Amino acid sequence: MSSSIIVQTHNLSKTYEAVNRVNRVNLHVQEGEIYGFLGPNGAGKTTTLKMLLGLIKPSEGTIHIFGESLSKHRPSILQRTGSLIESPSFYGHLTGLENMKVMQRLRNVPDRNVDEALRIVRLENQKNKKAEQYSLGMKQRLGIAMALLAFPKLLILDEPTNGLDPAGIGEIRELIKSLPARYGITILLSSHLLSEIEQIATSVGIISEGKLLFQGSMASLQHESRTSILLKTGDNVRAEKILLARAYSPARMGSRLKFANIADTEVAEMNRLLVEHNVPVTRIEEQKKSLEDIFLELTGKERSL
Amino acid sequence: MIKILGLEYFKIRRKKIWTMIILFLVVEMLWAFMSISRSIAGNPDQAVWESVFFSISSMNGLFMPIISAIVVSRICDMEHKGATWKMLVATNVSRSHLYAAKYICANSLLLYGILAQGALMIVFGLIKDFPGALPIELLSRFIGGSLLTTLAVTALQQWISMAIKNQAFALCLGMLGGFIGMTAGLFPDAVRHIFIWSYYLDLSPVTYLYAEPSGSYMVQLVSPGIVVAALIMTILFYIAGSIHVTRQEI
Repeated sequence: MSSSIIVQTHNLSKTYEAVNRVNRVNLHVQEGEIYGFLGPNGAGKTTTLKMLLGLIKPSEGTIHIFGESLSKHRPSILQRTGSLIESPSFYGHLTGLENMKVMQRLRNVPDRNVDEALRIVRLENQKNKKAEQYSLGMKQRLGIAMALLAFPKLLILDEPTNGLDPAGIGEIRELIKSLPARYGITILLSSHLLSEIEQIATSVGIISEGKLLFQGSMASLQHESRTSILLKTGDNVRAEKILLARAYSPARMGSRLKFANIADTEVAEMNRLLVEHNVPVTRIEEQKKSLEDIFLELTGKERSL
Repeated sequence: MIKILGLEYFKIRRKKIWTMIILFLVVEMLWAFMSISRSIAGNPDQAVWESVFFSISSMNGLFMPIISAIVVSRICDMEHKGATWKMLVATNVSRSHLYAAKYICANSLLLYGILAQGALMIVFGLIKDFPGALPIELLSRFIGGSLLTTLAVTALQQWISMAIKNQAFALCLGMLGGFIGMTAGLFPDAVRHIFIWSYYLDLSPVTYLYAEPSGSYMVQLVSPGIVVAALIMTILFYIAGSIHVTRQEI
């Protein structure tokens, strides 16, 4: 995977009526990544993506895509970018194929691209049906096919699985996951569903109330979810002293002592020590922080995403 | 720009725009020809080319604003319905080019309608055996006047149709325009010239002089001021609409 940066924003902000919908966001999307842009509804994801496509003007900040300034090289950047923002865009009175032909004329690409894009999203057998008669999943797939038509270097997808049934979500997920390897496409994908991002993305950015709270690889986010051990003893004060003397670093958590990042052998050793000092160990519990916990901690929202 | 214009013609397939233009024109022409035929039956002196030009011009005041509203609305509404503005703009289509392409597309369709009116008027005159040679000058002035008025009306309609998603507003404006266009002759000149829909009659090559017991048709010279006013309205409506729509956030 190359390390060149495909999307880079600096202090990107958008203000509506004195409210910062996007507040000093610094995005870094590397080539070949599937970057998951995660945040609750209304966090500023779509506004950010629209600014990346030049659909709305930033109030402040700069955008560089493919190393070029969006404000100066918008036409050449958009030629290499495919997008699906909010809901899929299509002409309902035209067939799927005719919709693709509209995009083909705009993109100046050969017929084989149309066939290939329809094949990838498995719409080739439905291409002569009017788009308004498509199911929601088929409309979504048509939107993705139109975004894919020119096989762009960057694909921006805003909530691509919105409104799909579980089978449809799985299908779109597998499709998106296959694109970087098969076609060298970098994907910037937004979602409010943590589980979706967890399954697709290689990198993640978490946004809430317009602020980018976390950005890094999926592995680094998962690292945050390391397990902790909770000990409950008959005398926590004594137990703490004994363990501190042996270079363990317990933290008090209610009626328990918490140990982060320790091996199983160390747990056994602590237990032996406490028993030898006549401190009864009544519980040894493993606590694993889920990504959802981390997300809620970061966004500070104990509510539905 | 040519590519965007070509796409507009591609996109309007199955929108039944032609069917609607033809239906409205058939109703208008039948109504006008029946009215002229009855008038000629009562007063054979009215069997002149001028009668048909005046009748169609006055009826255009009612029909053309409505036809224009429908055609423009059909062409603009597909972008609202399919949320395709953002797709087009994200594909690097210039909004001002798209606006211009829609304007040209709508007016080219309406021009066909006006040309069809001209052809039918000639056919009607020949069937009724109107005296004199084919009135090429009247016909040219009729086509020019109708087209110029239509250019201004569609500029206004397109502004509304693109700026407001709910097409009921644009269609209501078309109907209001039709009402004003139909009753334009009843208003004083100063009031009438404010409303673009009354220009179908003002730019008509023929007027009607009301006198007891019956009036007569008279070829009128169109005042350059009226032509300039129509041109200014066209440019104003178009530029205002284009700037407004281009600056709207998507």
